Amino acid sequence: MKRRSIGIVAALILVLAAVSLALAEGNARKGKYLYRSKCRTCHGSSASDLSPNSKVQADWKKTFAKWEGVKCAKEWKDISPEDRTDIYTYLHDYAKDSPTPAKCN
Amino acid sequence: MSQKEATRISRRAFLSLAGATAGAVAAAAVSAATAPEARAAAPAAAPAWESRYSVCDMCFNRCGLIARVENGVIVKLDPNPRFTKSRGMLCARGNAGVAQVYDPERLKTPLLRVGERGEGRWKAISWDEALDLAASKMKDIGAKHTRCGMLFSAGADMQSGFVSRFAEAFGSFNVTSHESLCLLSGNRAFVDTFGDVPLPDVKNSKYVILAGANRLEALVTPDSMDLVSIMQKGAKVVVLDPRYTKSAALASEWHPIRPGTDMAFMLALAHVIIQEKLYDAKYMAERTSGLDRLAAHVADKTPAWAEGETGIPAADIQRMARELAAAAPAAMVYPGRRSSDYENSTQIRRSFAIVNALLANYDRPGGLVPARPAGLKKAAPFEPPWYDDNPPGRVDAKSVPLLFDDEGSFVLTREAVLKGAPYPVKGWFVYKTNPMATAPERRKTREMIDKLDFMVVVDIAMSDTAWMADLVLPAPSGLERQDPVQALQAGAEGACLVWRDPVIAPLHQSRPVFDILKALAGRLGFPEAFDFDIAGYRRQQLAAFPEAEAILKRDGVFYPPNAPLGGTDGQPFKTPSQKIELYCSRYADLGLDPLPVYAPPKPSPDAARNFRLVAGRSACVTQGSSTNNGLLSEFEPENTLWLNEEAAGELGIRQGDVVQVQSPAGRGELRALVTPKIRKDTVYMLSGFGTLSGGLSHTTGVGASIVELLESRFDAICGNSAIHETYVSVKKKGAA
Repeated sequence: MKRRSIGIVAALILVLAAVSLALAEGNARKGKYLYRSKCRTCHGSSASDLSPNSKVQADWKKTFAKWEGVKCAKEWKDISPEDRTDIYTYLHDYAKDSPTPAKCN
Repeated sequence: MSQKEATRISRRAFLSLAGATAGAVAAAAVSAATAPEARAAAPAAAPAWESRYSVCDMCFNRCGLIARVENGVIVKLDPNPRFTKSRGMLCARGNAGVAQVYDPERLKTPLLRVGERGEGRWKAISWDEALDLAASKMKDIGAKHTRCGMLFSAGADMQSGFVSRFAEAFGSFNVTSHESLCLLSGNRAFVDTFGDVPLPDVKNSKYVILAGANRLEALVTPDSMDLVSIMQKGAKVVVLDPRYTKSAALASEWHPIRPGTDMAFMLALAHVIIQEKLYDAKYMAERTSGLDRLAAHVADKTPAWAEGETGIPAADIQRMARELAAAAPAAMVYPGRRSSDYENSTQIRRSFAIVNALLANYDRPGGLVPARPAGLKKAAPFEPPWYDDNPPGRVDAKSVPLLFDDEGSFVLTREAVLKGAPYPVKGWFVYKTNPMATAPERRKTREMIDKLDFMVVVDIAMSDTAWMADLVLPAPSGLERQDPVQALQAGAEGACLVWRDPVIAPLHQSRPVFDILKALAGRLGFPEAFDFDIAGYRRQQLAAFPEAEAILKRDGVFYPPNAPLGGTDGQPFKTPSQKIELYCSRYADLGLDPLPVYAPPKPSPDAARNFRLVAGRSACVTQGSSTNNGLLSEFEPENTLWLNEEAAGELGIRQGDVVQVQSPAGRGELRALVTPKIRKDTVYMLSGFGTLSGGLSHTTGVGASIVELLESRFDAICGNSAIHETYVSVKKKGAA
């Protein structure tokens, strides 16, 4: 039993190393908080409704690679690069085609 | 009369109470129809009862019902004929919902543990004392161990969403539901293949393969009813199960498959469909990815090969593949619900998903259909706080490659709590879920509880989990509650919306979990997270449908507009390739098998343990939550061990003998049901018996607990419990 568990753990470590490469680098949990406090203030009321589920991962990647080009870029100027990475991580990791798409109504 | 008999509601007494008025009405109606002289008599008096809509709470299906209430007492529950998801029916469990409400053993007041855990010594305390205590303990745990030091677990309930909301407002990432002890492997497989979890449209299907799903006893509405209806219209239903279940008995054909070999059967179906080109080539080219790789993968998975693994004759496998393909797209491998079977259950269910893809049945009548939009709006939005001292994620994060973040894994969470790593979890808030009766290896759940500083359980009855808590808070039953709107899905018919209003005032001192959470939020300094009431919450949920409130009051159910099937045609699937992934690119990226690789079930590591233990359902049992019901326990008074008659003969076991069952996890004693209805290598027992709680007189000391015997295995991809991996030994009690 113990040996078997060690085997499983070893296999998981290998897989998890791959997972960490597949996911974005920031803190998705903090990103969710930041997204709600900084983005949902407009998106969903005065701007288009938005959730991670609104786009596929590749589109979130494109959007954040050239965030200066988005319509509301001037609203982003107070967001630090670290916070931006966290927001991106949240949106990317829960995107429409992600392993755990955000639930919508 | 024994104490136990005295506390049990007499079924006859109940039926006479419930049926007195109905019986009188029926008798009057019959005599009016048969006796000419009676025609002139006055029409039968209307029943004295008031009829009030609600939604059943005896399992997760939420079937619409009408409560008949007389002088403030529920005397009968009837199905709501306008609730089409249950085809206007209410099952035995639903009918017995009255006994749940009036169960003399219900929790009546907040209880504080005063003895040792599990000793059963309690002190009744006031709600204020109880809430002050819970709030102060949660605050202390948050301060000492970060907010993630509190774990929150809620079962399937119309108010469970509020528990997740509370956890988020409190600041904990650690939330588990019952689902990681049930259905996540299937969800994982279908999300990774189709990009969503489609629903079976049984009603329009012409050919259904039920592999390990006992849908005529493990009821899912409308599927259970529709399976019977479609067979009457000539559809074929094939059951693969090591047990001769009631589904098997009524099906077109039954194959007693060797447990753990379903994937071999599915790969052989895929082999035949591909080899004989029985698929829609245009559909496969346009809508799926990886057909060539799948074809190579199953090239040697012939029916003859599968016969050796499954025990199902090759000719039958070949025939079924052809029949299935001929009926496509109105054909399916039923995706099933509980898929917590094996350590590779995600891959097994992937093989189910792949065969469905080969049938081109997605979003087609009689196939697998996407969940339809219900149109509910997000209610009471709020901004949870952020705590920088919190750890980076869930306590079970990254323990498997593809955990569902909002469900977690109970087995792996429990492991983390036991180890105190990656960080300590010292508090547990439990609402209407019962891991002491549903999670494998009960002694480990018990050990986990011993690691906690504080545990509070909110429930209707003193479940085994409540029995171990520090504080137990009484909740009202569903029939005494006002609940938010919930969307329910019914195949191609789409979503319906239901809510609950109390049909009687809450009994005893019970309080809904919403009120409890709201009171705790106030005490813990985040009242804004619960600054609403349920009536207002429902209005926000229904903002898109101004007419819904009146219709829900009139009919007990509201049907939002339902778009016809086929709406996803031409739309990308929500997968990385935007197609149905026969070859799963995500798994390839993660170093997992991108196509399901069959491995024969592992043999028992111990020659003495030569029976595989499998789980399942009776139509009268919802795990631990209905076995103590005064009415249902008359149908299922105890659990028995299904044991093949030949195996029993070899062991010298006769019908009704008490047998001792043992596994590395634990042991149990129960009566044997010696039967030809199960394979010789397999045994089966119901869950929900052999309980520990002093508040469950029908099941404590009755039968054996399945979770005492099951080992703590888990799905290597998603962490779902794997409860068919346990081998047990069986001997007659007293035998050497």
